[in-house]
Amino acid sequence: MPEYAVEMKGIVKRFPGVTANNGIDFALKRGEIHGLLGENGAGKTVLMSVLYGLYYPDEGEIVINGAPHRRYRPSRAIGLGIGMVHQHFMLVPRLTVAENIMLGQEPTKSGVLLDREAAIRRIETFSKQYGLPIDARARVKQLPVGEQQRVEIIKALYRGADTLILDEPTAVLTEQEVEHLKDALLKLKSEGKSTVLITHKLREAIGMCDRITVLRKGNVIGTVDAKDTSERELAEMMVGRDVVFTVHRSEATGARESAMQVQGIAACDDRGLRILKGIDLDLHRHEVLGIAGVQGNGQAELAEVLTGLRPTTEGRITLGDIDLTGKGARAFIDAGIAHIPADRHLRGLVMDFSLRENAILGRQREKAFSPNPFWQRQSAMTRFARDVIDAYDVKTPSAGTLAKNLSGGNQQRLIIGREVTKAPCVIVAAQPTRGLDVGGIEYVREQLLKMRDQGVAVLLISMDLDEVLMVSDRIAVIFDGRIVAIRDPDSVDRRELGELMLSGSLSEEQPMTETT
Amino acid sequence: MSIWELLGDIFTIHLVLATLRLATPIALIALGETYSERVGIINVGVEGTAVLGGLVSALVAFYTGSPWIALIAAVLAGGLAGGLHALWCIRFRANHVVSGIGINILIAGLALFITSAVWGWRGTSSYSDTLNSWYIVGAMFVLIIASQILIFRTKWGLRLRVVGEKPEAADTAGINVHRTRYVYTIVNGMLCGLAGAFFFNNVGRFTTGMVGGRGFIGIAAMVIGNYSPFGALGAALMFGFIDALQMRLQTYIPSQFSIMLPYLITVLVLAFLIKRAQVPAALGQHYIKQ
Amino acid sequence: MSSFIRWVRQSTFLRETGITFLSISLAFGVGCIILWVAGYSIPAVFANLWKGAFGNRLSIGQTLTKATPIILTSLSFLVAFRSGLFNIGAEGQMYVGAIAAAVVAAQLHLPAVLHAIVSLAAGGLAGAFWGWIPGYLKARRGVNEFVTTMMLSYVAIGLTDFLVAPRGPLHDPKYMANQTARIDLTAMLPRIMKPTQVSWAIVVAGIAVLLVWYYLFRTPSGYELRAVGKSPTAADYGGVRIRRKLILALSLAGVLAGLAGAGEVLGTHFRFVDGFSPGYGWDGIAGGLIARAHPVGAIFAALLMGALRAGGMQVQRSGAAPGDIAAVLQGLVIFFIIAPTLIRMLFRWRRRRAE
Repeated sequence: MPEYAVEMKGIVKRFPGVTANNGIDFALKRGEIHGLLGENGAGKTVLMSVLYGLYYPDEGEIVINGAPHRRYRPSRAIGLGIGMVHQHFMLVPRLTVAENIMLGQEPTKSGVLLDREAAIRRIETFSKQYGLPIDARARVKQLPVGEQQRVEIIKALYRGADTLILDEPTAVLTEQEVEHLKDALLKLKSEGKSTVLITHKLREAIGMCDRITVLRKGNVIGTVDAKDTSERELAEMMVGRDVVFTVHRSEATGARESAMQVQGIAACDDRGLRILKGIDLDLHRHEVLGIAGVQGNGQAELAEVLTGLRPTTEGRITLGDIDLTGKGARAFIDAGIAHIPADRHLRGLVMDFSLRENAILGRQREKAFSPNPFWQRQSAMTRFARDVIDAYDVKTPSAGTLAKNLSGGNQQRLIIGREVTKAPCVIVAAQPTRGLDVGGIEYVREQLLKMRDQGVAVLLISMDLDEVLMVSDRIAVIFDGRIVAIRDPDSVDRRELGELMLSGSLSEEQPMTETT
Repeated sequence: MSIWELLGDIFTIHLVLATLRLATPIALIALGETYSERVGIINVGVEGTAVLGGLVSALVAFYTGSPWIALIAAVLAGGLAGGLHALWCIRFRANHVVSGIGINILIAGLALFITSAVWGWRGTSSYSDTLNSWYIVGAMFVLIIASQILIFRTKWGLRLRVVGEKPEAADTAGINVHRTRYVYTIVNGMLCGLAGAFFFNNVGRFTTGMVGGRGFIGIAAMVIGNYSPFGALGAALMFGFIDALQMRLQTYIPSQFSIMLPYLITVLVLAFLIKRAQVPAALGQHYIKQ
Repeated sequence: MSSFIRWVRQSTFLRETGITFLSISLAFGVGCIILWVAGYSIPAVFANLWKGAFGNRLSIGQTLTKATPIILTSLSFLVAFRSGLFNIGAEGQMYVGAIAAAVVAAQLHLPAVLHAIVSLAAGGLAGAFWGWIPGYLKARRGVNEFVTTMMLSYVAIGLTDFLVAPRGPLHDPKYMANQTARIDLTAMLPRIMKPTQVSWAIVVAGIAVLLVWYYLFRTPSGYELRAVGKSPTAADYGGVRIRRKLILALSLAGVLAGLAGAGEVLGTHFRFVDGFSPGYGWDGIAGGLIARAHPVGAIFAALLMGALRAGGMQVQRSGAAPGDIAAVLQGLVIFFIIAPTLIRMLFRWRRRRAE
């Protein structure tokens, strides 16, 4: 048995405009858990996609179990014992767990009809052997995220994977589910499996891996043993300079009077299930209120409810003496509520419109741009767009460029510029730094704090707990569609926060420990 | 005439037989569209493909004298049209609906041209020998049952459903998404070609008005039948019944009204009886692999 | 000079028109192959196509007469298309508009210009109603508008047929044919290009092009409508009332198709005649696609199709080939235009060959 399960030598992969992998060497020892660490865009997922056969490398060699392979498709990779669990699950929600797992390797009766029972039996065997409890007969859309991930892992094992690639597995898990995952990985390791863990989280890389390889902008910076390194050292390797861990959040001055009052809001999600079960919030001027919580507890729906994009079934939303309950997006925009949406491709911009036309999205009916229904001031639009582009440093050839031709960071800059220049009284920022590079992330956080200083009530919804802690003046924890706690970020205990995010309450036995 | 005599006059065994006959092409087209949309390809070109099936039937029957060879040719021609649509949608990333419209327009033009060129009459062919169209009715039932089993109880059915719901999941499981889409769109075309052959064998010749919007009614039937073969059959039988009924009613009410009936009923059914159906999640989206 | 070249390379307008011309060339190429396979003389066919479309004053008149309603039905398709909807029912909306105009033009008695305008308006309104129905069903109940517009088209044709049939209420008793009474002189749209049938209807169509362009690109409502078509989620975010826009879009589409029918009644036939349309509504779908959904392109597309129709008639008369070769060419043009990647592939290939 060769020492290395997988060796990748000199891998080069190019895409139009960017070299994602620039001559990468990577080696996975048999039976180890190897972290692949790097920022967004460093090339980690691309490298593993090459290994899994989703991409063909432009140059380089791949050696699996001692034998070289060049161009192959995922079906071959599966045959060679490589399994991949993607960041966005490759599960069909409408089908059952068993149907999802057996896809491509379906057991049959007399060669034609599906043998569902045989598949279920086999799945349950794996489930027990690796300590990954799942219900094989349930439909995937009914399962919580943690269980869906277990399904994905069993799916890989079902196909005979010896080498597992996990892409950002902890992005959607609570702290306790992360612990379960760690146990599962150790169990897999004891059964002889080798694992690659793609992550951008320093703490988890050190906590879960044996060795860590750091990528930056398509190159390998180095490979270290987890026990010999520190978060600071890894961060430096990832980013290449002394990382400022915190944006300096000065104390906000200015009266913190109430800007927006949310009382007892309930709402349903896209499937018609109650997702918000009674939200009470007060947004204050000169203050950033951060919403901390694990994905799936209603944050996305909360953002939509507070901007008029989702109807409520109970409760009231008021802005001083303006009652916005039951109104649509138009009313919220007119009342002065700005929105940096979580999905800039779907919500934030019309991708096929020019920047010029996107700059007035939401403001198209304002007198400045359209004095009456029969006339839209083209020159005013152009001038305004140019002003936003200049003021917010949006890199683009012209105001007539289509939004889809801009990079993510520049798209977000346009959106922020657009929303900020509305001079709103409230701004709802949902996942504002998602998909941006370090420079972009810093910029967004600075803008949010600047708005706070100018008297805007800022609501920040983010999956990144560090971000929420760093930027907010107050933190509200959302769990199961309710606000379960409000804390001061400077004095809160991370453990306590994690428990609140996971279970909605504090257990009595937990001793209070210092924040690490 | 009393009300009972009236009803007895209308509801006869002939009505049942007519229902079956009129339902058959709709069921075939609905079945075909079920396959196509289940893998994510919208095909509104089914109307034109059925016309093509009828045209090719007439052409080949005319030149070979054998309705059976004509049948096979019609099915193959339909498959060709389906393949062309798939090519346009998959390889050239055309908007699915627009491509289907294009096929309809193209075939409509070709039908006029070919009938003029071959027979000298615009839009009509000469009469040829036909086979008993009841064979096709029987084939339709067989195909429906086989399809129901295929889609929901076999591994190919599981795969094709996944391709339409979440092509990325199918791709990472090693299934060739593009090939699956080509295959089932061609199957769609073939079933439409068969429907066209049915129209031909019913009448004995090809006329451009033959299909008369039944391709689109087939799409409506598929929606009402909730993307399953049995559902498609049920909806098709309903439409067949209405169509048979309106022919019978023509002796009692003005013909223009009874002809309108199937189309009107389609609108009403869709307007009031349809809840949000189980549309395949990846329907109409281009799947782009790196 | 170099900035001009840069404009040429970056200009969307040129690229789009280039794609259109390339598609037309390809279509004609394939058309030639079909003619050759069928054994017809390609030069004879094309000579007659040209003669019938542009050969002399009468031909040009034919082309323009046929193009006029197609301009409007193309606008009808593309307005709906811009909002993300498919209006397949222009033919039926045309019929409804035509009969409404015929009734108002024959039954009411008003001074000259006013009568014509009121009759046109009646046609537009009737068409609006026929477009509103599927719009409402789509917006409020999510019913597929492709199917409903198509079905209502058949309903409209059947309904009007009934109305003007020998025992129908609107039938003109002086004649056997299915048609209404002749309209008043005061409602007629005067002929412009004697002795051809070109009437003021073409001016109406031209004005419609301008209005549609202005609406789509210079008004906030048009902006919102386009946003709905390109990204309904972003439009929602931007405070657009999507359902209202969808209903508006199909109603507008209905107005335009209704005007097409009214124009034919008031300018060409001077009464509603059953079967007056050789498929102008369906041509509108083709026209909207050829126009790449741009109002100004509709003029060009309609002229192309009017030319093909007029030319086709001449080809038929001359016996060089079946006149329907024109319909085949039309279908081929559509088919090539709708495949963006194909055209772009060929475009790049052609440019590379030229270099």
